[in-house]
Amino acid sequence: MPFLEIDHLVKEFTRKERVIRAIDGIDLMVKEGEFVSIVGPSGCGKTTLLHMLAGFVPVDQGALRLDGKPILGPGPDRGVIFQEYALFPWRTAHGNVMWPLEIKGVPKAEREATADRYLDLVHLEGFRDHYPAELSGGMKQRVALARILVLDPRILLMDEPFGALDSQTRELMQEELLEIWGKTGKTVIFITHDIDEAIYLSDRVVVMTARPGKVKEDFRVDLPRPRRLDIKKTPEYAAYRNKVWDLLHVEVIAARAQTPDGRA
Amino acid sequence: MIRFLRGAAVPVALLIAWEIYARTGIAPRYVVAPTEVVKTLWAMTLNGSIFKHTGRSIERATVGFAVGAFFGTLAGLTAGVLKPVENFYDPIISLTYPVPKIALLPLIFTWFGIGDTAKFVIIIMAVFYPTFIASFYGAKSVERVLIWSARNMGASRWQVFRRVVVPAAMPQVFNGLRVGLALSLIIMVTSELIAANEGLGYLIGAAQESLRFDIMYVALLIIGLLGFGADRLMRIARRKLLVGQTLGSEAGNG
Amino acid sequence: MTPFPSKLRDFLAHWYSVPLLLACWEIVSHSGWVQPRLVPSLMLIGQIFWRDLLSGVLIHHTTVTLYRALGGFLMAVVAGCTLGAAMARNRTIDALFEPIFSFGFPIPRIALYPVFIFIFGLGDASKIALVFLEGMFVITLHTYQGIRAVPNTMVWAGSSMGANSRQLFWRVLLPAALPMIFTGFRIALPVALIIVVSTEIIGESVGLGYYIQFASASFDDAKSLAGIAAVAIIGFALDRALIWLRNRAVFWQPEAVALG
Repeated sequence: MPFLEIDHLVKEFTRKERVIRAIDGIDLMVKEGEFVSIVGPSGCGKTTLLHMLAGFVPVDQGALRLDGKPILGPGPDRGVIFQEYALFPWRTAHGNVMWPLEIKGVPKAEREATADRYLDLVHLEGFRDHYPAELSGGMKQRVALARILVLDPRILLMDEPFGALDSQTRELMQEELLEIWGKTGKTVIFITHDIDEAIYLSDRVVVMTARPGKVKEDFRVDLPRPRRLDIKKTPEYAAYRNKVWDLLHVEVIAARAQTPDGRA
Repeated sequence: MIRFLRGAAVPVALLIAWEIYARTGIAPRYVVAPTEVVKTLWAMTLNGSIFKHTGRSIERATVGFAVGAFFGTLAGLTAGVLKPVENFYDPIISLTYPVPKIALLPLIFTWFGIGDTAKFVIIIMAVFYPTFIASFYGAKSVERVLIWSARNMGASRWQVFRRVVVPAAMPQVFNGLRVGLALSLIIMVTSELIAANEGLGYLIGAAQESLRFDIMYVALLIIGLLGFGADRLMRIARRKLLVGQTLGSEAGNG
Repeated sequence: MTPFPSKLRDFLAHWYSVPLLLACWEIVSHSGWVQPRLVPSLMLIGQIFWRDLLSGVLIHHTTVTLYRALGGFLMAVVAGCTLGAAMARNRTIDALFEPIFSFGFPIPRIALYPVFIFIFGLGDASKIALVFLEGMFVITLHTYQGIRAVPNTMVWAGSSMGANSRQLFWRVLLPAALPMIFTGFRIALPVALIIVVSTEIIGESVGLGYYIQFASASFDDAKSLAGIAAVAIIGFALDRALIWLRNRAVFWQPEAVALG
């Protein structure tokens, strides 16, 4: 049985009294522990897809199932990471990581210790009492990651999490994410428009078409793990890269011809 | 449409309840039926007295507002770009900003008499503050890169001020003007309540003394319409003048 | 360069305009160009201020004015925050009340004062009621807009971590809206003082507005200015107190400074 099941999903939006189809029948099965990246041109509905998996946006047609149970709303079994971090600015790094534990009703001493452990995991023990405003973008995203992992979700839903970071920080974060993924074995759905990021991180890459979004191609990345950044220099990597580039380029051109209204 | 009906529900219900309450006869004298108020308004329109008072009030508020806003905006924009000007105004403004200017009104009456000059002076003072502060911060917070790129394209300092700083500060300037406009009406009414022999504030005071509550509500209605209309005019001007800077974000209230 | 004189120079460069203006006032007062009664010397104003402060007269009037301003303000805080939050969270309440606030906002509510006198009498109640009404508008709108402006992702983050709607309100929406709510307080508090002083000038037998009005009516401008100084000190002190409170409550944002 598949772990995550996307079953003929359709999503439409109404903008200025016009119905715009954002997602046009996506089918996807994800196994437990799999790292799947979804790439596509801007406006192809990949973020909408993630928001539906998270339960923020209702499903129009089709179904989403996690471990056989339909997804009907937000829940702590799915940890979401946003590009904008969505940290609470009135709480320190440690306070942010403790937040979900307070919601769960974990006793004080236990949640303090758990939050510290997860800050260690993302290498932020030295920034425990810093406020988000005092942290760099990469650090903020690591706090957000710790805040999600602390609930031990079954799956991580990441929406262009490193999109706002500079390229050096981004590569470091990618390496760190792989390390954490290796330790925790979580299933990951990773939205990105960065081809390198998708190939370097994933077991599988799903390429989407321009709006209305469909699955254009879905293939495995058979590069050995654990991967290091220097894998990007190998010819196997380059072959994958060229493949995704060719697939995506056509869609980017197609997306460029579309009018901007109704973009989800 | 449905939203509009729901929005009108509470005010309309209140009006009807008011009308019924006023007609029962158990209501105190100051509860005048809305229909009576409309009748009085019609009578005052026919004999022209409402135009006389409204005209005087509008004159005081607009002259005071125009002069105060002109100097406030000018001083604010200059202080935003010239450090010596900023140094002159900053301590004065920051010390006197939280002080209610209205407290000066009796004093100003002793200086200028109870005529219009005193009312102009107090409205000008009241309008100066919000327009100064808004345009000062507007000019000061213009993004560096805008100024640099204008200099890079060969603009002189004056051209940078005229063609970059002023337009970039405009949204903030408008916020100040909006607050100033509301203030000018408040001060106009207050000063007319205290001392005047014409104007809407005077009308309220005189109606209160002669217990003509219907006239009082007529004056209140006109003042309300003036406040609302002035604010709408300001919003329209803002939308027409600042097309690029207001796209996608309709200004809220406040 | 030694640090002290440079500090002194910075201080003068920043603050010179205040003593300059005061000096101009003093020169005009002593010049004989105008009647000294109209522009009394600072010394005389200070003496009267000191005299009425020691005799307790100023303190008495100040207490009354403060009681009215703060009483109305605090009631407006409670009601405005509650209503603003309810409007932001509930579509029906929003549809019912939002038009009243957006249409009523630009209307000068001080004109209602004569009506309030008939409903609440000449004393404290009518003034507190007017302060309440005025403050309520500002605080409700700021609370409403503050909560509505919380980014979606922050709410989503909270709900995906398992927060229910009550927890979302108290632990996400309210703290996130707090800076905006405090902006509302900072607008409403000076307005409260303005309303009280104006209404005391219009008709009252106690309070700082009355003190100023009575002095001016008896052509005692020095005493009137002493009263204005008292109002100025209160206005200044209240604003600073609110800034202090705001910077502690909204500690994660850059500090608020003296100007809006």
